[in-house]
Amino acid sequence: MSDSDNEYIEDHSSGDDHNLNVGGSGRAQRQKGSGRNATSKPGTRARWERALRDTNNEPNVVADDSRLAENISRRAEAQKRARIRKDTKPFQRGIIRHMVLVLDVSEMMLEKDMRPNRYRVMLRYLEEYILEFFEQNPISQITVLMMYDGRCIQLSELSGNPNDHINAIQKLRDGDGKDELPKEPKGSPSLQNALEMSRAMLYHTPKHGTREVLIILGALLTNDPGDIHKTIASCVKDKLRVSIIGIFARMKICTEIVSRTNGGDESGYGVATDDVDLRDLLMASTSPPAMRATEQEDAAANLLVMGFPSRTEEEHPSLCACHGELTRGGYICPRCKTKVCSLPQTCPSCQLTLILSTHLARSYHHLFPLRNWLEVSWDRVREMRTTQCKGCLKKFPGIPTEDDGADKMDGSSESSRYECPSCHHHFCVDCDVFCHQTLYNCPGCQSGPPAQVPASNGETTGDPMALDGAS
Amino acid sequence: MDGVDATVRGSVRTSSAAPPSLLTIILDTNPLSWSHLSSSLPLSAVLKTLLIFVNAHLAINHANQVAVLASHVDNVAWLYPTPDDGDASKQSSQTNGHTEVADEHRVVSNKYRPFLTIEKNISKNLRNLLTSDIPSAEALKSPPLLAGALSIALAYANLQLLKADPMTSDSASTGTGAVGAADLDAHTSALRTARSGHQFVSRILIVSVSQADLSSQYIGLMNSVFAAQRLNIPLDVLRIGERTAFLQQASDATSGVYLTYDPPNSTANGTNGAATASFSSATAGLLQTLMQGYFSDVAARKLLVMPGSAEVDFRAACFCHGKIVDLGGVCSVCLSIFCLPLEFTSCPTCQSPLRVPKSVTTKPVAFARRKKKKRKIGDGGRDSAAGTPVPN
Amino acid sequence: MSLSSAVLDYLQAQPGVTFKRLYLQPPTVLAVLRRMLPHLAKNIIMAMLFMPEPFLEEDLLTWIRAEARPQRDEAMTVLEQLHILTLVPEPPTPRAYRLNTAFASSLRQALMGGGSTNSFGVPADKDAPGPKRTVEELDKWARKQWEAILYYMVGSAEREYSREGNISSGTRKLLEMGEFIIMRGGRADITKGGFTFLLQEANAQVWTLLIVYLENSESVSSIHTKSKVIENQSKDIEQLQMDPVEMLSFLFMLGSLELGQDYNTESLTKTQFHMLEDLHDFGIVYHPPDARGRFYPTRLATTLTSSDASLLSNPNSSLSMNSGKGSIILETNHRIYTYTSSPLQIAVLALFANLNSCYPNLVSGKLTKKSIQRAVEKGITADQIIDYLRTHAHPQMLKNQPVLPPTVVDQIRLWQIEGDRMEATPGFLLKQFVNANEYRETAQYAENLGVLVWRNDREHMFFVTRIEQLQQYLAKRKTQAPRR
Repeated sequence: MSDSDNEYIEDHSSGDDHNLNVGGSGRAQRQKGSGRNATSKPGTRARWERALRDTNNEPNVVADDSRLAENISRRAEAQKRARIRKDTKPFQRGIIRHMVLVLDVSEMMLEKDMRPNRYRVMLRYLEEYILEFFEQNPISQITVLMMYDGRCIQLSELSGNPNDHINAIQKLRDGDGKDELPKEPKGSPSLQNALEMSRAMLYHTPKHGTREVLIILGALLTNDPGDIHKTIASCVKDKLRVSIIGIFARMKICTEIVSRTNGGDESGYGVATDDVDLRDLLMASTSPPAMRATEQEDAAANLLVMGFPSRTEEEHPSLCACHGELTRGGYICPRCKTKVCSLPQTCPSCQLTLILSTHLARSYHHLFPLRNWLEVSWDRVREMRTTQCKGCLKKFPGIPTEDDGADKMDGSSESSRYECPSCHHHFCVDCDVFCHQTLYNCPGCQSGPPAQVPASNGETTGDPMALDGAS
Repeated sequence: MDGVDATVRGSVRTSSAAPPSLLTIILDTNPLSWSHLSSSLPLSAVLKTLLIFVNAHLAINHANQVAVLASHVDNVAWLYPTPDDGDASKQSSQTNGHTEVADEHRVVSNKYRPFLTIEKNISKNLRNLLTSDIPSAEALKSPPLLAGALSIALAYANLQLLKADPMTSDSASTGTGAVGAADLDAHTSALRTARSGHQFVSRILIVSVSQADLSSQYIGLMNSVFAAQRLNIPLDVLRIGERTAFLQQASDATSGVYLTYDPPNSTANGTNGAATASFSSATAGLLQTLMQGYFSDVAARKLLVMPGSAEVDFRAACFCHGKIVDLGGVCSVCLSIFCLPLEFTSCPTCQSPLRVPKSVTTKPVAFARRKKKKRKIGDGGRDSAAGTPVPN
Repeated sequence: MSLSSAVLDYLQAQPGVTFKRLYLQPPTVLAVLRRMLPHLAKNIIMAMLFMPEPFLEEDLLTWIRAEARPQRDEAMTVLEQLHILTLVPEPPTPRAYRLNTAFASSLRQALMGGGSTNSFGVPADKDAPGPKRTVEELDKWARKQWEAILYYMVGSAEREYSREGNISSGTRKLLEMGEFIIMRGGRADITKGGFTFLLQEANAQVWTLLIVYLENSESVSSIHTKSKVIENQSKDIEQLQMDPVEMLSFLFMLGSLELGQDYNTESLTKTQFHMLEDLHDFGIVYHPPDARGRFYPTRLATTLTSSDASLLSNPNSSLSMNSGKGSIILETNHRIYTYTSSPLQIAVLALFANLNSCYPNLVSGKLTKKSIQRAVEKGITADQIIDYLRTHAHPQMLKNQPVLPPTVVDQIRLWQIEGDRMEATPGFLLKQFVNANEYRETAQYAENLGVLVWRNDREHMFFVTRIEQLQQYLAKRKTQAPRR
């Protein structure tokens, strides 16, 4: 089968699109079945197979109903924490990102396996995605393209203002055919055209930022006018990083694109099995990517000149440089003194990047991530003797007299306490989730000295108001 | 038949009852800073006014809650609810706290019981805090642990939000926020306010007196500010003393109120009308500021015009000197800000070699212009440039 | 909220003098502040409380945003009606607002403590005689008392529950005076107002009853004339002339007391002391007959001044009708489920729903045409049913927008007015007159009497509701007939 796969790709690139289009979908269906063989190494299995195998191997255990309440609460805790267990090793990350978002607006997106259809679901998540992206990466820029009927059409220009993109997507969603926007998805997508256009968009971006392409592909074929491998080679030369989110099935060509542009790493290609999965995969790409060793020489510590303007209010309205509208206030570029309305922006007259220090501060948590907190065993609890959560004063369950027979749940602590490795304070699961997802600070580390094991006579030393035996 | 049609779908069960509200107060208790102020505004007087403010907050709604934290010299301590005191949860979730039989009948029978409990707890805890551990003179100069206090306050507010409204708070914490208030536009702010809980609101009041520099806690502070933005918790700041840029930026980013209170330098116990018979004019002014400026919660702020100026200094401070810069260089790896001209070859924070673009280092030089030969008048055409080339 | 508006109406009906006396007590002021003012009004009061001079009107208008105009108008109206805020036209300067001095000083006292009004309840001495009651005992007792009243009312609707409702005669009379029940020949029958009362939420019920109590204590003579059957027991309600201001302040003071703490009765006035007995009947305070010097407020008392939100958030509430969160789930297929085990709730639900299965903690049924029409016949309106369902809806239901499925709501209303389609009038049809003249004159006579309902001149028939006068008239005509 692998031989025929190669042939298949060869045929595709030799032109004669329309005939192959019809047969292509048939072959694409076949290819879905052979997806198992498409992964390169033998022994690695697809994600769905792995899940199947795991549940088959575990013997069915009769649950112990006496521990029902505790089991349920532990399961809830494990679920909550599952989201936050990311790798927290501080990598060097690309903070200034230039991303091209490519949407699949082809026939296959009208499938109703996601309600109401894949296309609507994608558009709905995209709005959230854009807001989240600019929240996490305030000094980055996005442009949105779409693959429609074999062509690649630009929806919005490369800019750092989220509203441009949101308005464009809303116009597409309202779908009344104005402005040459399509009403409904049609035709088949063309990955090559998309990649070529992204390359063109990102050609002028400076080297100190990342160049990324995120393709959402729902179809199982691609309809290209030329040799896609040549395009992939030129993308690699231009240092583009492509990641693809497929829907419901893998394609070998996507795997190849992702692995070649990411230096052999296939993890950029994710396949969503339902809409929640699609959302998770989308949101995962809002985190800045780690920089690779090969790129590091070029990107090593450029000093970027940026301006930090202050806001001014004026008596009489004056023209702003970005829109040409009359406004009464705005930000003044420190170098050329032109007025712009909103930040972050590039000054229209002197091309200086203008930002607020808060925008830089938003990315600090990626560079200095909060370490994961560890689960606390009962022995440790007996050592530390904590009764309340340091962050929110919620009470912890007491030390049991006998050994706890409840199931050991992966991801949740048997004592419902979670310890920060640096300050040794104990927290509850809600604070754990909150601090790792929203706050990115450890309250214990920020608020004083680390907790110490209380003295053996049972009394806590030091300030009676401090918690958990902190001195 | 029209009376039957229940398609007045939009009619939400409106009640003018406001949602329960949590007020968290972070009190800066650095003894050194308070001693500077003891002539015009002693800590005891400020504590008294704060207690009245707290009582007023609890008075207007049975379900309102309060929490008080002290950011002390080297640690952050809870003043209310008291930790390690049996049911901290009972104090905060039930109706403003119940207590055992009080001692003095006269005091008890003339004061609303919940007010009394809370006041007692706060005073007792503060007294314990201040008398237990006398910090060294060195430690007194260090800045108050504001980032820590904010983190704990936010974690507590998050817990109360979860308790009040388990469903919507989940989407709020993972949901969308928006970039800082200064460049919010109608669309994104509408998205953000749409998520603001109707069941529970909270806010944080920071009373700050210390002069110390907060830049060592910069990252922690900014993280807390962004988290407060996400949760729609305004950070109000009452500053007694000079202006701090950080706190002003923080309150502006979260749509809070920033006011500076300047106590009049009088120690005389003047009476200001019947209302403030037992107060000096300084504390009376403080109380009125609190009551009018900071009393309203998020729901009421939509209806009122909030005090505070619109001018906020957003400029950053450079990491090498601490000077305010408006045009600076940023390391692309670790995002630290430096002022120009640069004095290092490698970034102090991340130790990576810095490559400075030429546009910064090269000095602008004027090009020397070639001298143009001037035309002399009346000289015929002989000197004008070279003669006509003659073919050989 | 129906509750606060009921109390609000009652208060607004009082003359201004009452307010002056009312506002002398800090707990009253606290209660009024908490319960009866819209949110914006509370903020305005707090801002003005410590102001040395009156608040200029233009400053106030600038402070409140322009788009908040309706809330501002609402707030100002309420404040003025309650005599809290007065507009003082000070001669040289433009108009300004001033807080009622009594209100302001009481509020300040409440916030700062002090004064010697002992208005927050004097706790009893520790070694006073009599047994101590715990919170659980008080809750149980209060629940029993209150539910007895509700059972009594449900019993008047459904006979099988009437044995549960043993309440004192005083309470019975009170219910009658409030027109919740009508005594028909010795048996009580519930009225429409009674159904509204029954289907309200707990806090609203307590206040409705208390307001009836207040209103009926004002004058003795009016009570005597109002109710039709008065047994002359020496019950305090009729005999004593009780001062409504003192009663109101006592009620508000009860709202600020602490659960589980017994209080001394020495500092209460005579009026208030007499009230204790009646309140004991309702289950609001526990006044042990063997220890007259003390009383315990129950949960019903301490939550008098709290709002619904706080009740809902109280997980420890053990009163069944206060089971805090509602527990009714209504589906679009008209099925109704409720997670309760209280027979009272089940009884109330059985009034208008068709219950078909009952588990230890779950009761399920269906809203059918028969059940709704049965309820309508009893006098319950569709709106009452819908409000009840909405107030007791399960928190899961509250996430829907709107809360109840509109199809079901529409259907309930439709079923109600189906009954109105045909109106049956009992009466008598007269036909087969001898000649046209007789028909015309008789019909004219009937019309003049006002008993004519329908006539058909072609067929010479008409319909009347009462026949006795017509019979006499016709008989008279007959005797005169030979004259024609």
